[in-house]
Amino acid sequence: MVSMANQRSPGDKLTELSASLSLVANNRDKEAFARLFDHYAPLIRAYSLAREPGADLVADELVQEVMTRVWLKADKYNDRLANLNTWIFTLARNCRIDYLRRNSRYLTEIDPTDIFNEIEDDGPGPFQQVQQSRAEESIRAGLKQLPREQAEILTKVYLEGKSHQQASNELKLPLGTVKSRVRLALKKLEVLVVR
Amino acid sequence: MNNANKHPEDELLAAYSAASLPLSQALCISIHLERCPDCGRKLQRLNRVGSELMQQLKPAPAADELKNRLLDRLDSLSEENSEQAHPLPDSTVPRCLQQFVHGNYDDLPWRRVSADIRSVELCRDSNGARVELLKIKPGGSAITHTHLGDEYTVILEGSFSDEAGLYGEGDFLLRGKHDKHTPVASLHRECLCLAVTEGPIQFTGFFSRLMNPFIRRSYA
Ligand SMILES: [Zn+2]
Repeated sequence: MVSMANQRSPGDKLTELSASLSLVANNRDKEAFARLFDHYAPLIRAYSLAREPGADLVADELVQEVMTRVWLKADKYNDRLANLNTWIFTLARNCRIDYLRRNSRYLTEIDPTDIFNEIEDDGPGPFQQVQQSRAEESIRAGLKQLPREQAEILTKVYLEGKSHQQASNELKLPLGTVKSRVRLALKKLEVLVVR
Repeated sequence: MNNANKHPEDELLAAYSAASLPLSQALCISIHLERCPDCGRKLQRLNRVGSELMQQLKPAPAADELKNRLLDRLDSLSEENSEQAHPLPDSTVPRCLQQFVHGNYDDLPWRRVSADIRSVELCRDSNGARVELLKIKPGGSAITHTHLGDEYTVILEGSFSDEAGLYGEGDFLLRGKHDKHTPVASLHRECLCLAVTEGPIQFTGFFSRLMNPFIRRSYA
């Protein structure tokens, strides 16, 4: 039997989560923070495990790192720049590369901290005013309809954190094919119709 | 002549959005993004792709202990953090480059490559790519060269042109293995750019002065 909670659309859930974030930002509300944790921690762990399968401790550390930033930066979050899911994704992405660097997986002196900006840092101006919720809906629908090999490549790039070169080695495909699959997938998702 | 692409290709921007590209490439794109609202808007949408993919992952539940430990620490977190607001220094150096350029570009240990070109190596990436700043004097040129790997360039100040077109501040160029390429700085000011060169490169005679009689005459 399907419960009421499961029948709500992702949009309703997101509205509820955004309300919790406001409570964290304005009232330092720990119960609201716990609700955010309950929703996002399992996704953040899954995101970490996608890159390092089996590394549960690393996944826990990423959760701590990301949720700490959520607590500290809740008041900087600007819902006109990105929805909450996207904000959390960029935090998780940035914390994950920070972690990789701190554990010297990169073997380079380049510090990623100021390279991958957090969304609130982008400041006002050109980055605003995209028809947010409609775009999200179309991306979500589009992802479901992608041909398998295009979905696979997006998963490698976004979730497993593979460079085009690494994806090409793993899938035994020419580099050019990897790139064109990414491009085709993005075209299908209609994310690049801006210009 | 000016139909050159001055922006990173979509799939490169997607790799940036996913943070799954070599950091030296990310550095170039980050500089471009500071100056290109169009790519900024694209990036916003690309981040949403990452976000949707993340939402579709099968959740991996966290232990209650993890939550409780964090909840217990929240108050002390706020205190620790209140000290570390770091305002951006007032600088023309892009933010992501400030890790290498602390004050002024002029203070860096520039070395002479040719009569027209000065360079300073900032670092190497883990894929071996060389990250350097290049300064080409007004009207100066790099001789036609090809590379054994890809070369990523972003213009920081000034402008230059090559076979494909004219590039100004913030413009991004990617030249592949077999592209021939002869950048010439514009006449009125020197051109400063960040270049990331992948793969082995031959240093000897890589850049040299182009004896262009036209430019020399107009300069006299
Ligand atoms: Zn651009």
